[in-house]
Amino acid sequence: MPDALLLAAALAANVIGLGWLALSMDVHWEQVRGAEPLRRATVRTLRWLGAAGLAAALALCLAVDHASMASLVWFMALAGAALAVAFTLSWRPRALGVLVAWVPGARA
Amino acid sequence: MATSAISRWHIVSRIAAGVLGGYAFTWGFIALGIGLLFSAQMEFHDAEALGYILGFIVFLVAFLWAFSAASLRRVWLVLAGGGALMTGAAWLVQRAIL
Amino acid sequence: MFQNFRLTMAWLHTWFGLVLGFVLMVVFFFGALSVFDREIDRWAIPQSRFEPQPMPSFDKILQPVFQSMQPSKESIEQARSRVNGPMADSFPVVKRWGAYTTHRDPVLGLFAGYELPNAKDPEDGVWGNRTIDPRTGASLPDDHLKIGSQFFYPLHYSLNFHWKNLGYWIVGFAALMMLVALVSGVVMHRKIFRELFTFRPRKHTQRSALDLHNLTGVVALPFHFIFAFSGLVIFGGVYFPVTHTQLEPLHELHEKHEAFETGLPHDRAGVAGPLASVDAMVAEAQRRWAAQGMAGDVGFLAVQHVGDANAYVSVYRAGTDRIALVGNGIHFKAATGEVLREDPPLTPVASVNTFLTGLHLQHFRHWLLRWLYVLGGLSGCVCIATGFIFFVEKRKRQHAKQGVSGARWVDGFAVATVTGMVIAALSMLIANRLLPADLPARGDWEQYLFWGAWVLAFAHGLWRTAPVASARMAPAWAEQCWAIAVLGVAAVLLNWVTTGDHLLRTIGSGYWPVAGVDLAILASAVLAVLAARKLKRRAQGQLSAPGVDDSAAAHASLEAARA
Repeated sequence: MPDALLLAAALAANVIGLGWLALSMDVHWEQVRGAEPLRRATVRTLRWLGAAGLAAALALCLAVDHASMASLVWFMALAGAALAVAFTLSWRPRALGVLVAWVPGARA
Repeated sequence: MATSAISRWHIVSRIAAGVLGGYAFTWGFIALGIGLLFSAQMEFHDAEALGYILGFIVFLVAFLWAFSAASLRRVWLVLAGGGALMTGAAWLVQRAIL
Repeated sequence: MFQNFRLTMAWLHTWFGLVLGFVLMVVFFFGALSVFDREIDRWAIPQSRFEPQPMPSFDKILQPVFQSMQPSKESIEQARSRVNGPMADSFPVVKRWGAYTTHRDPVLGLFAGYELPNAKDPEDGVWGNRTIDPRTGASLPDDHLKIGSQFFYPLHYSLNFHWKNLGYWIVGFAALMMLVALVSGVVMHRKIFRELFTFRPRKHTQRSALDLHNLTGVVALPFHFIFAFSGLVIFGGVYFPVTHTQLEPLHELHEKHEAFETGLPHDRAGVAGPLASVDAMVAEAQRRWAAQGMAGDVGFLAVQHVGDANAYVSVYRAGTDRIALVGNGIHFKAATGEVLREDPPLTPVASVNTFLTGLHLQHFRHWLLRWLYVLGGLSGCVCIATGFIFFVEKRKRQHAKQGVSGARWVDGFAVATVTGMVIAALSMLIANRLLPADLPARGDWEQYLFWGAWVLAFAHGLWRTAPVASARMAPAWAEQCWAIAVLGVAAVLLNWVTTGDHLLRTIGSGYWPVAGVDLAILASAVLAVLAARKLKRRAQGQLSAPGVDDSAAAHASLEAARA
């Protein structure tokens, strides 16, 4: 796979992973799912998923560059992803709804 | 922040302790560090590099401590005094090597 | 200093952050621009707009240029106070020739070091520089300033203030205070994990600014810390010149040992010696690297003790594919071309040090990582700027009531530093396109215009932040944003008009250095317009409820104005 594609995938994995981590917090869950309660099991699942997303991103970075370069790329991409998630939550929070669409809700 | 309760003189002295005392302490730390590492057979430029890397962390900690320690007198004693002691020790280490 | 640790850290963060923030703003902004310094050079010197070139043949291209070089006038002038007696007329003894290139350099920079006759310090010297087209050996004029690598880049580590090295010291102190601000900021920020993704742009300015300040500070915290720290380590020898003062004898002892162990002579023999084919030495070096599984380009080529029997040639591999800058040096006896030494693998300490330095100085080839660095640098700028805005917003009402002008002056200086700085940079690029190509000392004129534009922006900023003294919003911010937008578009248009390189052409032919700079300038112009319009809306919101003290009521009136 061309490097550009792998790196794009790594960026996406970071955004998705951090999105899951953000949504495991009450305040951001509320921005996306409204008054629906956030169950403890969901919080745990979201945190594991988030960690997995970040790990996947690191693995993708390592597939492109050697360890020292890849970890730098991953770290910096994490910062960019965090900004992306934060700005999405500020201006288009519902867009992150797709990340938790699989969580059964009050409507289900 | 109740800076009016703290005299201007105290603020100046804290800043001087953090900056000048911190600098003196760091100088002594780097000089003694390089001397000791070199005498322990570390390559000279490695000793220098490690001295700087550890030195700036030491400066950061010394600066923060200068403001958070309760006794300003102790701050001056440790930073300026410690700096002088380490610088002196570095002279001795150099003499021993040469 | 105060009752508790947190209060002390808050005091430190506020006051040292405020004062050194003005310096750090400049460091972070021009540091971010420096990631693409060579691309900015291409924009500024149209004759250099061709593809990056590998290190050319020493024998055919470089040697004739080196032999024609002389110490520069500036270097000689600066050395006047360092000689005993009159300054010499000629500098016949050449200590060193060097050529350095990276995967981003179309043109090649050469330097030469000369012995300084009658010098107070026998190791002292004077320097000469030349920039050439490596395809032909033709020299570029000296006074075409490389705005990126020779102005913006040194600005970020020395403020281009060289008197007694004061600029280096100011930046160094600011860097240490950056570390202090980061640690104290973390201590102050109680909900650092819970508020990691929190940014509420629709709240009143004080809250939004603080949210953004925390966001940009925390998400890029490792970046901010490591860059300030590695910057300090890189210039460690300037701030703590221990081994050239107190431990100078140890340093000398080491140099003698090293010369003995490595076989690389420390001093000249005093006897003339020939120079064998350096191209053959380079070929041998590349053969050896390839044999070790790390084939690579030449990053740095140097000849020590030029013209002497003890001369040796050093060939270093470019760090294009790794974090470390250059390495794997191979050293040859100049007279015969035999290998004197291959640099051994790095020790653990040296590996850490070259990693830290290389991480900061970025000679690696990785476009995504470079852009992520720019993002980090600009996040730092936003962090500092929002810090200023928060400081002013928090205090302007109470200062207005007390008749104190502190907040008003901070806002003035903040505009002058944040938007004023961008105005100065764009003005310099415009000057670069407008000044006659053959104007003598063209580079000096560009620098005067940079500083002049900044002084004007400063004056405008200080004047047009007066309303802050009555707790109103300053029009200076919006006005300077409009100026940035206009100047940005003008710069890109001038590039087209004066060089014919418009975006369709540069993107079409894939010449990204110039296209990238044009696009970045246009993106900044767009952001500036968006910011100016948003500021206008906020100002109107404030005007519709005059003399309001209560921030909550002001917030309500803002919502009403927007509805």
